[in-house]
Amino acid sequence: MPRSIRGDVVVIGGGPAGMAAALSSWEAGAKSVFLLERNEYLGGILPQCIHPGFGLQIWGEELTGPEYAEIFIENLNRTGVEAMTDTAALELTPERIVKAVNPQGAWEIKANSIILSMGCRERTRGMLQIPGYRPAGIFTAGLAQYLVNIAGYLPGKDIVILGSGDIGLIMARRLTLEGARVKMVVEIKNSLSGLVRNYVQCIQDFNIPLLFSHTVTEVRGKERVEAVVISEVDEEGNPLSGGEREVECDTLLLSVGLIPENELSRQAKIPLSPQTGGPWVDEDFSTDLEGFFACGNVASVFDLVDYVTLVAERAGRAAVLARPPQEKHILRAGEGVHTVIPQRIREGKDGFLFIRPQKSMKGVTVSFWEREKIFYQKKISICRPSEMIKLDLAQIPWPQEKGEIKVEIKGTEIQGIS
Amino acid sequence: MNEEFDVIIIGGGVVGCAIAWYLAHFDLQILLLEKELDVCSGVSKANTGIIHSRSYWTPHTLKGELHLRSLSWIEQAEKELDIEFLKTGALTMAFSRDDLEFLQTLKERGKIEGAQILAPREAHTLEPMISDKIFAAYYDPETRVASPFELNIALAESAFLNGVHFILGQEVVGFEEEKSIVGVLTENGKYLSRWVVNCAGLSSSYLAQKSGDNIPSLRPLRGEYLVLDRECRGLVHHVLYPVPVGETKGILVSPTTDGNILVGPNLEPAEDEDTSTTKEGLKEVEEGGKKLIPSLPVSQTIATFSGLRPTLPDRDFHIFFSSRFPSLLHLVGIESPGLTASFGIAEYVGDLLHKRGLKLRERSDFVIRSSFPVFRKLPWEERERLIQEDDNWGKIVCRCEEVTVAEVKHALLSSPGASTLDGLKRRVRVMMGRCQGGFCGMRLPFLMAETLGLEERRIVKSGRNSFYLGEETKEVRSGASLY
Ligand SMILES: Cc1cc2nc3c(=O)[nH]c(=O)nc-3n(C[C@H](O)[C@H](O)[C@H](O)COP(=O)(O)OP(=O)(O)OC[C@H]3O[C@@H](n4cnc5c(N)ncnc54)[C@H](O)[C@@H]3O)c2cc1C
Ligand SMILES: Cc1cc2nc3c(=O)[nH]c(=O)nc-3n(C[C@H](O)[C@H](O)[C@H](O)COP(=O)(O)OP(=O)(O)OC[C@H]3O[C@@H](n4cnc5c(N)ncnc54)[C@H](O)[C@@H]3O)c2cc1C
Repeated sequence: MPRSIRGDVVVIGGGPAGMAAALSSWEAGAKSVFLLERNEYLGGILPQCIHPGFGLQIWGEELTGPEYAEIFIENLNRTGVEAMTDTAALELTPERIVKAVNPQGAWEIKANSIILSMGCRERTRGMLQIPGYRPAGIFTAGLAQYLVNIAGYLPGKDIVILGSGDIGLIMARRLTLEGARVKMVVEIKNSLSGLVRNYVQCIQDFNIPLLFSHTVTEVRGKERVEAVVISEVDEEGNPLSGGEREVECDTLLLSVGLIPENELSRQAKIPLSPQTGGPWVDEDFSTDLEGFFACGNVASVFDLVDYVTLVAERAGRAAVLARPPQEKHILRAGEGVHTVIPQRIREGKDGFLFIRPQKSMKGVTVSFWEREKIFYQKKISICRPSEMIKLDLAQIPWPQEKGEIKVEIKGTEIQGIS
Repeated sequence: MNEEFDVIIIGGGVVGCAIAWYLAHFDLQILLLEKELDVCSGVSKANTGIIHSRSYWTPHTLKGELHLRSLSWIEQAEKELDIEFLKTGALTMAFSRDDLEFLQTLKERGKIEGAQILAPREAHTLEPMISDKIFAAYYDPETRVASPFELNIALAESAFLNGVHFILGQEVVGFEEEKSIVGVLTENGKYLSRWVVNCAGLSSSYLAQKSGDNIPSLRPLRGEYLVLDRECRGLVHHVLYPVPVGETKGILVSPTTDGNILVGPNLEPAEDEDTSTTKEGLKEVEEGGKKLIPSLPVSQTIATFSGLRPTLPDRDFHIFFSSRFPSLLHLVGIESPGLTASFGIAEYVGDLLHKRGLKLRERSDFVIRSSFPVFRKLPWEERERLIQEDDNWGKIVCRCEEVTVAEVKHALLSSPGASTLDGLKRRVRVMMGRCQGGFCGMRLPFLMAETLGLEERRIVKSGRNSFYLGEETKEVRSGASLY
C-alpha cells in the first residue's frame, strides 16, 4: 500500500514560489509542512538562470538565479519544513489528497491546505504548428538554457531564435558568449516581448539582428536542422507571400511563451481562468476551491521572481490562517488589459494587484470601473506587456458592495523597442 | 557473417516484423536487415493506426483478401504479443442522401453483428460532438485502434525472443547469385540466404528494380496529421470516418490508444521520402476534422507529422517472386490497410515460400512475449511494490506521460532495443506528451548515454547524423546530477 501521511500544509513545486510559501507557512505557525519537488534540487527554474537580474525589487541588489535560490534553501534548512525532492506529485483530489512518488515509495498525503506552485512549461513547436521536417535541433529556450548552464552543452552552432521573450534574449547572449553564432531573433509581433533591458544587454550589445513582424514558416533538414524559412507577417500574424527567405542554421530555439502547469489543478477541479491559464485567486492567493492556494507562475506568468516571492509569502500565511470563504469583488480585464491577478478581492486592505497590459503604451491611465462609474484612476508614464504594473491594494478605494469591477488601460501605443 | 540463413527479411516495418514473427513459429534461421537504427522507422511509424473492420475491405483485390485473412489473427496476436487493440468501433458519417448508398455497402460488406445505420439523433447519442449536419451514420462495432509503434515493436521483440537475428543500421543495396541461394549485399558486406523477402516499404520497388524485375516506381502519397492533447480525451470515443470522396478513406478523427486524438490524413503527392508537413496540408486536415467535429479544439494541438503511402498505380499490394532470383519475394505497394493486413500478409508470404519449397516445421518451444509494465497505467499498490523492488520506478523522467527511469532503461536494454531518442519515444512515450520533450529532453540523452555506455554527444534523435547535443561549453560543467 502507498504510505499515508498527514500535513497541515502541502506545497507542490519547490521553485521560488513553493519555497517562499513553505517558509511563510512555517513561520505563520504550521506544525507540519511538506514541500514536494520533482527535481533532485530545489529552486525551480532558478538554478539554470545564471545571469544576474533577480532580487532587485525586494533586496535592492542584483543576484543570479542560483544565489537567489540559495537564500531560500538556507532559510528552509533552518525550519522544520520537510523538503521532499525527487518527488513528483501525480494526482490531486478535491479532498486535498496528494499522491506522489519518489525513489522511497508511493505516497498519499492528506493536507489541511494545499499550495500549488508548479510553475509553468514552455510553448512548443507543435503548438505553433510550424510546418516542415521534424529533425534534431529544435529546442525550447528554457531547455537550451538547461543544456548550456547545467549540462554543459551547446544546443548547436548556428542559431535562429523565434520569439523575443526574455528567455530567448538571455539565451542569445549566453550562446554568443559560448561561441555559437546567433544569426537572428525573429518576432511575430511588431514589438518586443521581453524586457527592454534584456534587449539592450543581450541583443544590441552583441549586434544580433532582431526582426519584428517576422516568423518561421518552415523547418528544413531531415536529420538535423539545416535551415529555417522566415517570412514577414501582416498585422494578424499571417505570413505575407513573397516575403520568404531561407536562413541557414543548425538550431532553432523557441521562446514563444509559457503556459501555467495546471494538470493537477484540473484534476482537483479547481476553477481556472482562461486569461491567465491558472486558478482564479484572491489577494491571499486562495483559489475558488476551499483549502487550495496557488502562487507564482502556476497562477499567472510572472516575469520577476521578486513578485513571485511576494505573492507566495501571502499564500503561505493564508494557508495557515485558512479563513472561511466569503463574498469577493470580481476583477475583469477590460480594454488594454491582458491579465489581472488576483482576479478576486476579498477585502482589498493589503496585498498587491498585478496588471499586464496588452500593448506598449505611453501616457497611460489605469481605470477601475464599478458598473458605469470610474472609482479610481492611476497615471503611469509608460507600460509594456513584458512588465506587470504593480499596485498596492490599500491605495484603491474599493466599493462597499461586492460586485464586478472592470480594469482598463488607455494610452498612446508605441511600436518596436523604445 | 558466413552463416547461411533460411530466410532474410529486408525491412523492419510492421510488415517485415510480422513476417519475422510468423516465420519464427517454425524451425528456421532468420535474419532481419533494417537500414535505419531502429525498427518501426518507415511508413509504419506515421499512420492512423486503425485496424479496419470487415466493413472496410476492398473486394477483388489482394489487399482486400489479406485484410480479411489478417482479421482472423487478431486474437492470437493479442495473446502472443501481450498487447491489446482498443475496440472503439467506428461511425462513418454521411452528409447527404446520396451518401446513404455507401453506408448500405459498408453494412452489407461487413455483415457484422450489431452494425447498423443510425439516424442523426442516434448517432449523436453515441458521439455528442459530431456535426449536426449529418444525414445518417453507419455504426460498426468491430473497428479497433492500435498503437502502430507498439504493434511493430512487439512483433520485433517477439521475433527476437524466438531466435530471429536483427541487424539494424544496415542498408541492402543489391542482390547476387550464389549457386541456388541469394547473396544479399549491404553497405558493409554480404549475407547469404536460401530465401529473401523484400518488404522495404517505400524502397521496395527500387530494390525490386535492382534485382532486375519490372515494376513501376512507387508513388509516395503523403498524409498529414494533427495530434491533440490528452486533455481532449472524451471528445470522441469511436473512429469517425467521412464518406470518402476519391482515393482514400478521407480525413478521420480518431481516439488513440494513449488517450490523444488524431486528426488526418489528407492525401497529396510528395517527393521521395518527403515527410515534412505543410501549411496547406495542415489546414486541409483541420478543415476535414472540423467537418466531422465542428468544435474540434485545434488549439490543443501538441504535434503535427506526416506519413507516406507507398502506392502503385492500381493501388493494390503486389507480392511476387523475382524473375531472376526464384527465391526472392518482393512486397511492393503495401499501403493502407497494410498495418491491419500485416498478419495476413505474413501468413500469405509463409504460404508462398512453402509452396516453392521452404519447409515449415512448427516449433514446440515458441515463447509468448510479456510486455513490460507501464507505470502510468499501474494501480498505486503496484507502483509501491515496484519501487521497493527497484527505486528507478520512483523516478519520473517524463512528467507528461509519467514515464519512469525503470521503463526507459528497460527500453534501452531490451532487444531489439532503442538506440535513438525517437526509438525511446516509440517504446515508452517519452517526448510525446504535451511538452514535447521540454522536460525530459533535459534528462533522456544523459540517461541514455550512461545506460548504453555511449558518449553523450553521440546521442541521436533518429538518423545517424541527427545529433541532439552540440559542442561542450567552455566552462567546466556544473557537475550537477543530470537526471
Ligand atoms: C529563463 C528564465 C529567465 C528568467 N529571468 C529572470 C530574471 O532575470 N529576473 C527575475 O526576477 N525573474 C526571472 N525569471 C522569472 C522567474 O524565474 C520565475 O518567475 C520564477 O521562477 C517562477 O517561480 P515558480 O516557483 O512559480 O516556478 P518555477 O521556478 O518554474 O518552479 C516550479 C517548480 O515546481 C516543480 N513542479 C512542477 N510540477 C510538479 C509536480 N507535479 N510535482 C513536484 N514538483 C513539481 C518544478 O519542478 C519546479 O521546480 C526568469 C525565468 C526564466 C524561465
Ligand atoms: C498516412 C497513412 C495512413 C495509414 N493508415 C493506416 C491505417 O489506419 N490502418 C492500416 O492498416 N494501415 C494504414 N496505413 C498503411 C500502413 O501504415 C502501411 O501499409 C504499413 O505501415 C507498411 O509497413 P511496411 O513494413 O511495409 O513499411 P515500412 O514501415 O516502411 O517498413 C519498411 C522498412 O524497410 C526499411 N528499408 C527500406 N529500404 C531498405 C533497404 N534498402 N535495406 C534495409 N532496409 C530498408 C525502411 O527503413 C523501413 O523501416 C497508412 C499509411 C499511411 C502512409
